[in-house]
Amino acid sequence: MTTLATEDTIADVEVRPAAPARAFRLPRLTRGQLIAGAVLGGLGLIPIIVDRAPTPNIHQWEYIGAYIAVWAMLELSVVVVTGYAGLISLMPFTFVGVGCFAAGVAVSVWGWPFWLAIPFAAAATVPISLAVGVASVRLKGLYLAIATLTFAQALGETLFKWDAFTGGQAGHSVADELKLGPIDFAGEFAFYLLAMAVALGMVWMVHGLKSSRAGRAMLAVRDNEREAQALGINAVKTKLTALVIGGAIAGVGGAFYLGLLKSPAPAGFQSPSVDISSVLLVVWAVIGGIESAFGAFLGATALIAQQQIFQGAEKLFQFVGVYAALVLVTFLIFRPGGLVQVVKITRERIRANPATQIPIAVAVVGFNVLLGYLIVHYGAAD
Amino acid sequence: VVLAASSLPVVEVASFGLAKGAVYALLALGLVLIYRTTGVTNFAHWGVGLMGIVFYFLLTSKAGSEPGVAALLSVAACALIGALIYRLVFRYVKRTNQLVLILIALGVAQFFTAAAAMGFGFEATTVVDPWLPVSNIKVGSATISSTQVISAIAALGIALLFMIWFRYSRTGRALRAVAQNREAASLAGIDEHRYSTIAWAIGSALACLALLLVIPHNAGQRGGVITTADITPFGNFLIPAFGAALVGGLVNLPLAVVGGFAFGVAQEMMILAPEPWNNLRSTIAAIMIVALLLLHTERFFVARAEQEALEA
Repeated sequence: MTTLATEDTIADVEVRPAAPARAFRLPRLTRGQLIAGAVLGGLGLIPIIVDRAPTPNIHQWEYIGAYIAVWAMLELSVVVVTGYAGLISLMPFTFVGVGCFAAGVAVSVWGWPFWLAIPFAAAATVPISLAVGVASVRLKGLYLAIATLTFAQALGETLFKWDAFTGGQAGHSVADELKLGPIDFAGEFAFYLLAMAVALGMVWMVHGLKSSRAGRAMLAVRDNEREAQALGINAVKTKLTALVIGGAIAGVGGAFYLGLLKSPAPAGFQSPSVDISSVLLVVWAVIGGIESAFGAFLGATALIAQQQIFQGAEKLFQFVGVYAALVLVTFLIFRPGGLVQVVKITRERIRANPATQIPIAVAVVGFNVLLGYLIVHYGAAD
Repeated sequence: VVLAASSLPVVEVASFGLAKGAVYALLALGLVLIYRTTGVTNFAHWGVGLMGIVFYFLLTSKAGSEPGVAALLSVAACALIGALIYRLVFRYVKRTNQLVLILIALGVAQFFTAAAAMGFGFEATTVVDPWLPVSNIKVGSATISSTQVISAIAALGIALLFMIWFRYSRTGRALRAVAQNREAASLAGIDEHRYSTIAWAIGSALACLALLLVIPHNAGQRGGVITTADITPFGNFLIPAFGAALVGGLVNLPLAVVGGFAFGVAQEMMILAPEPWNNLRSTIAAIMIVALLLLHTERFFVARAEQEALEA
């Protein structure tokens, strides 16, 4: 069927033929990936360092870090469903909402501990995943996109207006219940560490999924459903697997979304505001690299970073939507593999001609300095 | 079963439904035209129409022009925007990949949503002047608004004129040729890009017209109120409009118009339903759309070759 891969990205999609596909296996990490993980995990140190700085808005940093982690989880669900399995779902944020309010009911109504609410949130998305799955068996491409849009609308009008589920207009409040033994996750720094650890773990697992048997089946079904079936792959089962995994990831993300915002209102999951968030999720998954788990993380970081940069500066903030859309369209036309592809192409260019290292390094460092300056100067205010 | 909202006479509800249906019908016409000729499922249709409202708002409130003139100018501006979208974006996208096409359409939708938010100045609500005569008409015991009647009739008239033009004019025939067989059309000397541009321009102008019928009149005498719910990628209208287009399998123009009115009336008739059900307007639309999708309505209207060209 459809695929994002062009000749440029084909290397990205190709599965390594040498390794035997097991039912599920975690990837062996290369040195580069370990370094990347260490750097991302090292972000956890920033709040400690910044904590000593005499800035009045210290906690903002922990919040931003947690925000990136949570948003990365949400992007991962898009990676599995749309990137791996090629199913265009325009309702990812609805799954997040289901997880969010399921966790809210568990924690604030039934009095469950937060750690138990997370798997419950994941499980709560399964019925909806299956409903979409049934539709996806018969609907392809744009027809599935329209169907998921209407699902999101209908659920926004029924499920997210059901007070027993949403906790009324104001949503569930869980500020006091976020505890794991002696650790209080209501504290921003602890919550940040937990969310970042879970997000990185999920990146690792989604990356592993790609080369597992289930993941290879998804890629095969995405690229050519008939061919995949001829090879003995059960397309229906594969699609359902992708949707259930993607839904569960979004559900876990939803539980953390609840932990992050403490009491999100159900209005954000009702139509048409849910459309904004769902489109935003898909758009930034593409900018990060929709076929890559690391891309999800990059996309989330880029989104939150630019939001934070622009938030403090009212004049700039007006342009953020227009700018993001331009970035998306440019990426889709010229770099359909997203930021991940940009990194890969740059690396190959350096390998082919080591002399380009210096200007590229200067550009990257310069860009980061500029970014840092903008964040310090305009972001983190208010 | 108690009819909770039965204080509203059926005539009033039906007139609301027909006015809403008129908007769906015009939006669906544009969707069908663009999908048939260029293969793009235009998720940016609402956003483009919204830009027309921005022009209308700026012209009437800032430039102080006559509402009627402003409406006309906005339609023209939207046609230009549509042409530009094709020339600058979709012309360069390979048609073979529905996923990329949809994602780009979403990007374009986001672009115009954000631009519209800028145009309205990030207010929670924006008020625009009406351009159609607003008054109340008595029909028996019911009171209906003149703009509803005008909307329904105007939409029908525009749709009819458009379909006649699409069927008999030279441009219309060329557009249909491009839709049916791109290669054969270009062998016959029809410039594919030129006619795709025309299709986008006309489709976008129709979107603008649809929005101009509803938004400046949604608050009756006071004009129109634009809320943040309108400044979203799909608004409240685009999804039922897709449903309407699906009645004709996304390719059949007359049935898309019929579908538009059917969706509008069906949604408004939900008001007459008993208590817990009367708020489920989107849900009824969703059920209808899923039913239409599962029927695969497109197979009734297009030759296999054209369908394969569209879905490649």
